[in-house]
Amino acid sequence: MVCLSRPRKLGIHRRKLISGQTSIGTGYDLSNSVFSPDGRNFQVEYAVKAVENGGTAIGIRCKDGVVLAVEKIISSKLLKPGANKRIATVDRHVGIVSSGLVPDGRHFVSRARDEASSWRNIYKSPITVPALSNRLGSYVQAFTLYSSVRPFGVTSIIGGWDSEGELAVDGQVGTGPQSGAGGKVKGAKAGGPGLYMIEPSGLYWGYYGAATGKGRQAAKAELEKLDLGSETLTLVDAVKEAARIIYVAHEDSKDKDFELEMSWISSLDGPTKGKHEEVPKELLEEAEKAAKRSLEDEDEDEGPKGNANGDERMEE
Amino acid sequence: MNHFPESWGRPRDDIYGTYNPAYLQSTGPKAHTQSPAVTGTSVIAVKFNGGVAIAADNLASYGSLARFTDVKRLRKFSDTAVVGFSGDVSDMQYMDRLLESIDIRENYSTHGNMLNAKNLHTYLSKVLYKRRSEFNPLWNHILVVGFDGDKKPFLSSADLLGTTYSAPHLATGFGAHLAVPILRRLFPEDRPTEDITKEDAVKALRECLKVLWYRDARSLDKYSLAIITEEGVEIKEDQRLENQSWAFAETIRGYGAQVV
Amino acid sequence: MTSLVNQQPHSEAIGYSFSQSTHAPNKQHSFYPYTDNGGSTLGITGADFAILAGDTRSVAGYNINSRYAPKVFKIGGDDETGEGAHILLSVVGFAADGHALKERLDAVVKMYKYQHGKPMSVRACAQRLSTILYQKRFFPYYVHAILAGLDEEGTGALYSYDPVGSYEREQCRAAGSAASLIMPFLDNQVNFKNQYIPGSGEGHALEPKKAGPLPRSTVEQLVRDAFTSAVERHIEVGDGLQMMVITANGIEEIYTPLKQD
Repeated sequence: MVCLSRPRKLGIHRRKLISGQTSIGTGYDLSNSVFSPDGRNFQVEYAVKAVENGGTAIGIRCKDGVVLAVEKIISSKLLKPGANKRIATVDRHVGIVSSGLVPDGRHFVSRARDEASSWRNIYKSPITVPALSNRLGSYVQAFTLYSSVRPFGVTSIIGGWDSEGELAVDGQVGTGPQSGAGGKVKGAKAGGPGLYMIEPSGLYWGYYGAATGKGRQAAKAELEKLDLGSETLTLVDAVKEAARIIYVAHEDSKDKDFELEMSWISSLDGPTKGKHEEVPKELLEEAEKAAKRSLEDEDEDEGPKGNANGDERMEE
Repeated sequence: MNHFPESWGRPRDDIYGTYNPAYLQSTGPKAHTQSPAVTGTSVIAVKFNGGVAIAADNLASYGSLARFTDVKRLRKFSDTAVVGFSGDVSDMQYMDRLLESIDIRENYSTHGNMLNAKNLHTYLSKVLYKRRSEFNPLWNHILVVGFDGDKKPFLSSADLLGTTYSAPHLATGFGAHLAVPILRRLFPEDRPTEDITKEDAVKALRECLKVLWYRDARSLDKYSLAIITEEGVEIKEDQRLENQSWAFAETIRGYGAQVV
Repeated sequence: MTSLVNQQPHSEAIGYSFSQSTHAPNKQHSFYPYTDNGGSTLGITGADFAILAGDTRSVAGYNINSRYAPKVFKIGGDDETGEGAHILLSVVGFAADGHALKERLDAVVKMYKYQHGKPMSVRACAQRLSTILYQKRFFPYYVHAILAGLDEEGTGALYSYDPVGSYEREQCRAAGSAASLIMPFLDNQVNFKNQYIPGSGEGHALEPKKAGPLPRSTVEQLVRDAFTSAVERHIEVGDGLQMMVITANGIEEIYTPLKQD
């Protein structure tokens, strides 16, 4: 009986639960800070559900930069196209995109900005992407501990570039010694791209390619094909791939309109000079066009096979 | 002898005299920044047709000691303004940090940093005025250059008291005595700034820096020069005054005890 | 051993081998938060107008900071153009305080209009300005302010202030570095002090010339004369004369150059 009141589409974990016991009615799902007897925090799992309904967001890390992309579902025709951005800038060199409850994402970004500026106040240099991710991970995790709060209803992808060059930070006085104690080590490697994804539990990993939201499964499958670990994909190609993947991931919810929003961060000698910026309009349009084209090609290749895919298509 | 632990390791009065705790300053007025420590000297700037040029040398002095000789006292704010700082270097760094955080915050919006030089000058002068009103001044005299809201060249000054003023050419510190008269002669104020070319302005600044190098003991022949036009900001930080020499002084006759 | 003799007897309180003085000599503040930016201002009223004027020089010691730094401001109007203002304020003394004072009064007059739906009367504004100045009685705005406008009857109104808010409505007032040069001239030319009706009597019977509102052209000329004379005798006055004339038709601004020496 109880099971019927839950949505039919259930993840693997839910299936297991049904076979054994349900979280509903047990009371273990009513509060954070209460474990179920088998060691789970149901509030967190419900938060993950919220994320699973959000527009697909992905991040791609390549050798010379990071790309973030999101499928922004247009919930009303009255919304101004291009307004209400979903990818936010943190400090100068980091971008955050999240999937799930939009206001939660906004709060998350605001916290990230505070962390970045407080880091600057203390260390007089920009926060690194791993350090920022670590702090945000801790922040998100703290919302799983107390009965007075609920976890974040977002999974966030943090992409950034830690400067590989000399940091012109603050009102530095003098250039420092050229050699000897305090001198600079020649050829020392520093900085580079960073891509992290934080889930409602506070869990975060570093990724070559990250995906979350409704179309994450399809997106992940596409990302895996890219062989990002070899670091052979260039940033500009990654932009095109990202656009394509968002379009692929959108296939299953074709009835809804969406806007593709993309941002990138390149190395200091790249197009954005280490800053997080929106992907320029021309490149975005080019990538979008290419994405649409590749989808059409695929449809042709697949032919009638596409129809067997599901009932959603038939409604078109 | 006092054998109690609290006096262990302390100098004995009978040998060293009573300790003078004056510097501890346990009473009396609160002592915030009472004077600048490491300082930069003059900043000079001129408006020209379509922009503003600004210059300052690369020296930070500690009293009469030439402490740092490669200090950048011209600070860029976004691509819209340059701030030239004279006075205390640590306070300059603090204000630079403020500028940095403003720029970062402004860039969070989709349109990016929309603040122009005039906005920046208003902000900085309010910071300076607030701090002087708290009796904790930021010991600087600054020049802000760039463009105003109507895209016209902008040049204005603000000092540690929060006093502000604007003119076609400005200079802080010694420059107010030595550079301003030169600039006023070269570019009379009743002549429109549109008559002044960029080259004229830069040449005049270099000329002023030469005079300052000769006559201001806290100046340096290494300097920075920034030119701000519609196209953006161009900062050259490793400039040098060429062929400066005091050798001619030996040939001067007729001063002091020296006769003929 | 001297140390034995000098030793203080042991007490419960923590003692040191050195005498702990709680009275360190007071350090003097070396920071003085004011400066004098020089210049002069002048206000004269008529039957249906008021004029507020000031020179535009800003000085620091013997240096001229700027030849154009206005001291007369429109209050309660548009931020950039001053359009819609119906009150004038001049401030002379410490320019940074003057600027801050102007900004505060401007905000007050604007808020008054937003909250009450009508422009603030000059009388109310004058009282408010006094309060603002007195609020900083122990760290004053180091300025001599003059407020001008038209009163409820439409006649020119002029209020002059000391730095801590003492104020009075007057026919005319000069303030700033050349006040002592201009004010006696005004006494004589506006209030007709020491002017008598010729042939009206001998000695104490001599009848003083009656002062009354002057026409605008006369007042404008008086202002010009006052400043051209002040420029000759005071080094902090010069460069330009900024005159603001407020009438029922609004505010008119007139700029005329003064000597730059």
